[in-house]
Amino acid sequence: MGRHPEAVGEGITDMPVQYYLTLSFVLFVIGTAGVLLRRNALIVLMGIELQLNAGNLALLAFSRGLGDQKGHVFAFLIIAIAAAEAAVGLAILVGLFRSRQTINLDEASLMKR
Amino acid sequence: MGAAAAAANTASMPEQVVFWFLAAAIIVGSIFTMTRRNPVTAVMSLVGTFFALAALYATLNAHFLAIIQILVYAGAIMVLFIFVVMILNREEATPVTLRGLPTRALGVLSGLYLIWVFFRIVGSSPVTGPPPSVPDSFGTVASIGDVLFRDFVYPFEAISLLLLIAIVGGVTISRSHRKEVAADKAAEARRAIQQMAHADYPAVDTALEGGHGGSSSGGGGGGHH
Repeated sequence: MGRHPEAVGEGITDMPVQYYLTLSFVLFVIGTAGVLLRRNALIVLMGIELQLNAGNLALLAFSRGLGDQKGHVFAFLIIAIAAAEAAVGLAILVGLFRSRQTINLDEASLMKR
Repeated sequence: MGAAAAAANTASMPEQVVFWFLAAAIIVGSIFTMTRRNPVTAVMSLVGTFFALAALYATLNAHFLAIIQILVYAGAIMVLFIFVVMILNREEATPVTLRGLPTRALGVLSGLYLIWVFFRIVGSSPVTGPPPSVPDSFGTVASIGDVLFRDFVYPFEAISLLLLIAIVGGVTISRSHRKEVAADKAAEARRAIQQMAHADYPAVDTALEGGHGGSSSGGGGGGHH
């Protein structure tokens, strides 16, 4: 970046970045499986949060591996988007429960029929 | 860095122990989150997963993001989840459903594609071997803020706008409409009373027009008639 002329440290850990990427992959797969298989809308939203966190982990790992802080900024923005998504998603969930008395996604297919 | 790029894992023993401990905590926590039937258990294990992730972020020199993870995720977002769980605490009858054959085939294909991309990237050069040395300020609030407010000002402003929209959307969607219906009914009744007053006593109407703030008392008088 050229803006940090101070001391060059070692970093906190020497673990290769690919370990973090593998963990991120596993986390993403678990989140995706939850989103696709579970029918409780609340659990599906949690699966989406897991997917977003897996993406954040991959961004931070690449950021560390390339020595570039732009990945940190992206992760920061993704956390803001996740907050917005959770707020609106949970509001939709409450509205759905109020009008249909269910949060099962199979019973909430109003626009399908 | 160049000399060590070929070597596999030069991390010391404590570093490995910390990484594998946190990785195990994250995987077990996320599997718990996705498989428990009780939503409260799922939310609690998700909170644990987020804490372990925050610790892992810290090992990647992302101190600022680790703090933000705990504050925003484990703090704000999960509290929101817990509130919604309290409002609609229901256990589901059919936790898992499988779709038809075409959807399943599509799922398998996209899963294979994901695995292929993963192995292609993990085998590439900048991610094997120990990560490069970074400045001590890497990942601190000051240096992240430097990048954020120099190179990413417009995305930052766009995100603030998005959060505002999300607030308005959340309030609009989840608001109860019962009070509005009641207010509409009350306004209708008031109008009917005023019309009756106007028909019987035009003087009451002119008094209302005079504007002493007595619209309810004048209307009430007309209604008693």
